[in-house]
Amino acid sequence: MNEDLHRHLDGELPLEGLGEDARREAEAWESLLKTFRTETTPGKAMPWLETSVMAEIEALPAPGAFQRAVSWLIHPQPVRISPLMVGVAAAALAAVLLVGRPGFGPGAPGPAPAGTGATPAALNPGQGDPVVLVQFALEAPGASSVAVAGDFDGWKGSNVLSDPDGDGIWTGRIPVKPGVHAYMFLVDGSTWMTDPRADRYQEDGFGNRNAILAVTGPAA
Amino acid sequence: MNGAHSYVSVMALPAERTDAQVVRDVLAGDRDAYRLLVRRYGDVLFGHAFRMVGNHDEASDLAQRALVTGYRKLASCRDPDRVGAWLFRILSNLSKDHLRSPRRTDVSLDRLPEIPQRGGDPLEAAHRGEVRGRLQLAMGELTPEQREAFMLKHVEGRSYEEMAAVLDTSVASLKMRVHRAREVLRDLLEDFR
Repeated sequence: MNEDLHRHLDGELPLEGLGEDARREAEAWESLLKTFRTETTPGKAMPWLETSVMAEIEALPAPGAFQRAVSWLIHPQPVRISPLMVGVAAAALAAVLLVGRPGFGPGAPGPAPAGTGATPAALNPGQGDPVVLVQFALEAPGASSVAVAGDFDGWKGSNVLSDPDGDGIWTGRIPVKPGVHAYMFLVDGSTWMTDPRADRYQEDGFGNRNAILAVTGPAA
Repeated sequence: MNGAHSYVSVMALPAERTDAQVVRDVLAGDRDAYRLLVRRYGDVLFGHAFRMVGNHDEASDLAQRALVTGYRKLASCRDPDRVGAWLFRILSNLSKDHLRSPRRTDVSLDRLPEIPQRGGDPLEAAHRGEVRGRLQLAMGELTPEQREAFMLKHVEGRSYEEMAAVLDTSVASLKMRVHRAREVLRDLLEDFR
């Protein structure tokens, strides 16, 4: 094959730029390539491919901690840390420091370590069953309202999240009794969203999945 | 979990999520989000696999393996905005390895003549079956790299620049493969042209 014919088939030289023999051969190539296109075009892969891939993926272990850590480093995401977490961490640190001091070891006489046994008032606003403040956050740019609905509020969506700085991240701390709860986000009052970051899920029987939240009681 | 939970989720309708958002969601634990990538790229991957191996069953298996491998190794995708090209590279490598495999069957059911439909023209069906068989045999004479470059260029209609970006190789190298493939096919399919 001459170089001009290759250049034509590569799209770099118009048919008119070829000599007579090369032009005839170029036309023969077009016919052959048309046959190739016709005979090597398969049917659509869907939906069996999707079904089989997703079934195989379901049987695989969830992405590991290492993968998540790598993902976190590659794609930094906003983090919301509950004040409760800060309180617990501070209490634990204070306990460690105090235990480490002379006179505060196990069995040693003296006052109780500061912070131990203390429960932030917000964790137990009433005198009845204990409740735990759970921080929820949803990145929902463009949404006009976001609420959390779950079995803890009768699925009313009465716990509204807020986005005071307008960055599209809606947050709120919601009192929840210890136990295992199902919940979803309700966006703009009508769109139900499953939390993709939940640890566990449960089918709701209507074709959707609820996120599952396990809440343990505050330390006594 | 001792009473505190922090949830950060991405809200967007599935069809509106970018590839990068889907990748991030999958890596964050939303396994079902991967379905979007399967829908976006499944047909392209299956089509390319079919053109590489010429057999529906083998192409199905390759496309599925590429997508499952993609899921398992998603954290190593360096450019989530171009996850489609990354999946294509996985399929490309699997397909070429498959073609080099000594255990690969030489006879494909897809190469056999079609059974004519009731009322169809049996001569036409037989002719098409023969044409398909000849094309497959001719393609079998190409190296996997030549075959891939030829199919991408002339059947899938990609530019050399696109091919170079997807396959992570140079335009000059791809041109050489396509030119060589033409030379081989020209000799084998002389009577078809």
